Formats: sequence, C-alpha cells, structure tokens
Amino acid sequence: MRARLLLPIAIFLVAIRIGGAALPEQTVWSGLIIASNSAPTEPTPAEITQIEGTLRKLFGYSQFQLIGQATKTLKTGEEDWLAASKYFSLQVDSRGEKADAYVLNLKLFQEQKLLLETKAKLSKASPLVIRGPQVGDGQLVIVLVVQ
Amino acid sequence: MKAFEEKWTAWIDDQLTGRELEEFLASLPDRATAEAEKQSAKKLGSFLREQAVALSNADFFSHQLRERLDRESAPARSARDAVQTGWWTIRRLLWGGITSLAVFALCTVMVLREKTPPSQSQYLTEILTYRVDPTVSPNATISMFQKKDDHVTVLWVEGLQSLPAEYASK
Repeated sequence: MRARLLLPIAIFLVAIRIGGAALPEQTVWSGLIIASNSAPTEPTPAEITQIEGTLRKLFGYSQFQLIGQATKTLKTGEEDWLAASKYFSLQVDSRGEKADAYVLNLKLFQEQKLLLETKAKLSKASPLVIRGPQVGDGQLVIVLVVQ
Repeated sequence: MKAFEEKWTAWIDDQLTGRELEEFLASLPDRATAEAEKQSAKKLGSFLREQAVALSNADFFSHQLRERLDRESAPARSARDAVQTGWWTIRRLLWGGITSLAVFALCTVMVLREKTPPSQSQYLTEILTYRVDPTVSPNATISMFQKKDDHVTVLWVEGLQSLPAEYASK
C-alpha cells in the first residue's frame, strides 16, 4: 500500500528534478570597456582576461580599461539591470530564456542620448561584443557574458 | 442461499446452528456490537411479550412497529452502502489521478527536453534586431558577424559620433 503510494510521488519528484535542472540560475556579466593602445595604468580586470585575446584580434587594441560593469544573477530570466560609467550606460532587459540562451533587450545611452538599441539571444557559451563610439584615442566596447 | 437479513433474524431468534452459525459469526464486521444489538432485540421482544396482553390490537401494533423500524434502519443501511461504494470509487479515482499526473509530468518534461534541437544557435549568440537613432547618429551603420573559432558574436557599429577622452571616465 505504502509502496504503491510512493511510486507516483517518486515519479513526480524525478520529473520536477529533471525539469528544474533545465533552468539553473545563471549570472550575466555586462561590462563597458575602453580599448586603447595607451600605456597601461592598471592591470587588465579579471572579468576581461578570458575574452582579452578575442578583443585584441577584433579591435587591434592592447589595453582594456573597465569603466562600468554589472553582474546579475538571473533567477526567472526576466530581470532588468544597468551597467553604467560616468557618461555611458547600458540598460539590459532580460525577456526570458529560449533554447539555452537569454533574450535580452539592450539600450546603450550616452548620458541621455540613446545611441544604440538591439535585441540579442545571449548564449551561455558565447559572449556578445558591441563596438561603440570612438572615445579619445580608444574605443568603447560593450561585452556581455553568461558566467 | 439466505440473505444477510434472514440470517441476522435467525441469529437473533437463536435459530442458526452449526456451520451456518460459524459462517455467520465470521461474517460479522463487529461482533461485540452485533451481540449488543441481539441483546437489545431480545429485551425488546421480552418487553413486548409482557405487554402484549395489555394491547387490544397486538397485530396492528406489531405491524406499525415493524414498519417504523424498517423506515429507520433503511436510510442508515443505504448510507453505509453508499459510503462503502463511494470510498472504493474515490480511492480508485484518486489513484488513477495521481498516476496519470505523474506520467503526464514525466512525459511533458521528456518531450520538452527533447524539443531543444542541438543547433549552432545554441552555441553562438544571435543578434535578433538592432537600430541606431538616425537623428542622433545620422551616419551610423551596423553590421553583425560571428567569430565561430572564438565563439563570439559581434555587433559592429560604425559612424557614431567620436567623443573626447574624458568620456572614458569611470
């Protein structure tokens, strides 16, 4: 009798466990980076080191300075956050998870001016890099990574 | 084959004997209660026999009494039967429901997990839409590409207004 009751409960728990495993909590790192060839004033931030080689190849710059960042843990997949520096801000609006990727609405502002608006499906295994405006002798680069 | 009620009446009247008596006693769900009922019935019988002489119309009284007893006992018996039948039905329904839900949940999860096809888009970020404000950046152009060897997706914006170095401030 008790064994008969336990069987469906066990099946239920296994189903919930399997279903729950499909949506683990993930952290998305968003960074505003100034890429340049000027002399390094500080070491490359740890968050950039894993993508530094790719950024060098893409932009031809050797130095990367982090001017703004945000780290957001996604629980529901539908969260908003802001990564900001003194003059730039990246507004991120997560619209849920689809096929192992997060659908994000991104808005890049220069103070109050909207420079760029994009919608991307950020894969957990693939960073997104956005080339922003020229800043001094460097370049604004935006990076989003699922950690 | 006697009905239960017939055996019950025979037992009250001490007319059940031998194997039939044993079988009947074994079939009683609560023997103590049954014995108590039997004693009550016997007491009532004795009482009625004692009072029978005082009754002017004993047959009519007996008939009325029997009818009333039947009326009182009938709803209780049918209610008990309904509860027993209902209990079995509800139990089976409950088991059926729980099992169906469990199987449904398992199948749903399996189907949903198999529905995510292993495609390239699973591994590389995709740009779905993009735009720049033409009034703010009239000369801006946007292109996108994927560097598959680095697993990186790039949104390449050209023609945005260049800014002085102070905009690199944290």
